Amino acid sequence: MAVSISSLFKKETISDGGKLMAQQRRFAYISLVPILLYMGLFTLFPILFALVMSFFSYTPIREGSGFLSLGGANPFIGIGNYIELFTGTGKPAEVFRLAVKNTFLFTALVLPLNLAITLPLAVILESIGERFKTFFRAIYFLPTISSAVALTIIWAYVYAPGWGLLSLMFKAVGLVPPKSWLQDPNTIYFGVPLAMICAVVAHVWQDFGYNLVIFVAALQSIPKTLREAARVDGANALQEFWFIVVPLLRRTILLTSVLTILSSLQVFVIFQLLTRGGPQNQTQTMVLSIYENAFRFTNSLGLASAMSMVLFVIILTLTLIQFRILRAEWEY
Amino acid sequence: MHTENKSKNPFWVLGKSGAYAVLILGLIATLLPFFYIIVSSLKTDAELRQTPPNFFSREPSLKHYTTILTDENIPIERNVMNSVIVSLARVCITLFTSSYAGYIFAKYHFKGKNLAFGVILIQIMIPFQVVMIPNYLLVVRLGLIDSLWALIVPSMVDAFGIFLMKQFIESLPAELMDAARIDGASEFGIYSRIVLPQMGPSLASLGIFTFMFTWNDYLWPLIVLTTPENRTIPLLLVWFQTQHTSNQGLVLAASILTLLPIFFVYMFVQRWIVDQATQSAFK
Repeated sequence: MAVSISSLFKKETISDGGKLMAQQRRFAYISLVPILLYMGLFTLFPILFALVMSFFSYTPIREGSGFLSLGGANPFIGIGNYIELFTGTGKPAEVFRLAVKNTFLFTALVLPLNLAITLPLAVILESIGERFKTFFRAIYFLPTISSAVALTIIWAYVYAPGWGLLSLMFKAVGLVPPKSWLQDPNTIYFGVPLAMICAVVAHVWQDFGYNLVIFVAALQSIPKTLREAARVDGANALQEFWFIVVPLLRRTILLTSVLTILSSLQVFVIFQLLTRGGPQNQTQTMVLSIYENAFRFTNSLGLASAMSMVLFVIILTLTLIQFRILRAEWEY
Repeated sequence: MHTENKSKNPFWVLGKSGAYAVLILGLIATLLPFFYIIVSSLKTDAELRQTPPNFFSREPSLKHYTTILTDENIPIERNVMNSVIVSLARVCITLFTSSYAGYIFAKYHFKGKNLAFGVILIQIMIPFQVVMIPNYLLVVRLGLIDSLWALIVPSMVDAFGIFLMKQFIESLPAELMDAARIDGASEFGIYSRIVLPQMGPSLASLGIFTFMFTWNDYLWPLIVLTTPENRTIPLLLVWFQTQHTSNQGLVLAASILTLLPIFFVYMFVQRWIVDQATQSAFK
């Protein structure tokens, strides 16, 4: 459509550069100034202010003396918050160190489980007829478009002790379900608390649709001949999957892995509503710690800002890795 | 058909029926939690407390749904309206700012363009948890706390939206704009009358994603809204869960009611996406 309209006009660009270009430049500047001012106020200023706050013992309850209540009753303490976070013995600091460990544990479990489900499922899904493919993809994508709060409440009933869906399913096949899925601190499998496993499963269920559709799209774009050649050479199904499909998708797998890690690090709803950080802080995570310290318990915004900076550094590193992957040359 | 299937799928050892068996298993795993909540929400209070429970209700009723919709202590109409207002406002504002800024970045050449675009892209790299604390203080200072403005004002420019729209507008031929310029159109006129009408599908997908994101948003509303009347739907749902621990049926029904509007929109999005694919196949 666009092409047909443009071909009606003569292909000549406007040669009157001077006055017209100046006018266009002025229009561009006038248009962008409000947008950039807005970004300055709601993106740049918050980042800088979060960094500044992390060097203060800051709480909005106290009326400080200086700019935006910084100073005075909210004194500058240098890297005091960071020292406290990494070595301190205060309760928030101890819980935060646990939260860092739990956040990494959660991410380390989510990523392989997600890939182990989405990659084979995408390969199978890609092989079937177009009509059913659309249908299955639409259903698998359903959780990712749903309200995380509603889904988490649904999973609270999946994990409900006694009458929950999972307990019913265990009983139906003759297994004895645990007395409590989310609240027993003593049930630990291979060093992973049961509540953490439950959080991982609930999150992967909510999230797997994204990677699935990405993998299906990527599979559609790789040349079929490569896979057919492998089969002609006598590769079996698993060999074809491992040595042909997975290497062909390595860029996509790398990218989705980084994205999955980034989103896993920032999961909030499951930990706030489903496990509530418990039992005994076994599912306390960084984002939950930031929220609780800033807005629920003590309003220690300085300490919470320092926590958010730790999260920021981790996420920034991963984002830069992601850009490197995006920029690298890739060829099938 | 079977040979074609075999040529595409490394799991051909499973056979065609095996492939469908795996896919249907995945389907059940995806839908079972939804299904369980729907059938449970139809149970009476007594049935919900019963051990061992029935999977299906013996006397299904919509009582919990009617209670939520009619009980005067549950301000659900207000909360739905809040969610609708905030979502629509953010969709309209985001579509305008994204397409307008995307147009400037795609079609104009000026000094500092890359720097300005870089400044905007910073937003994508910053996790929300970092800016939420200063933004909370900002919203307090601006006097917007505990109002719907607190959900709208800090999210009027979406870097990702600008990025998407810029990508799309770059593909529009420059001749279109030059022709309009010769005809005496103003620069803004070119945006509103030439560029915008070309952008239907891009605007639709950005709009749908913005709507879904805003409708489901939880952490920021949780921080800035406190009055029950000002809550959005996810906050109502959480409040429900903490208030009605003894009345599980209400919580179950409320969860389903929260999901329905998005499922409804999604049904049309699916059809829209399929239509797009069919149309492009004919071109």
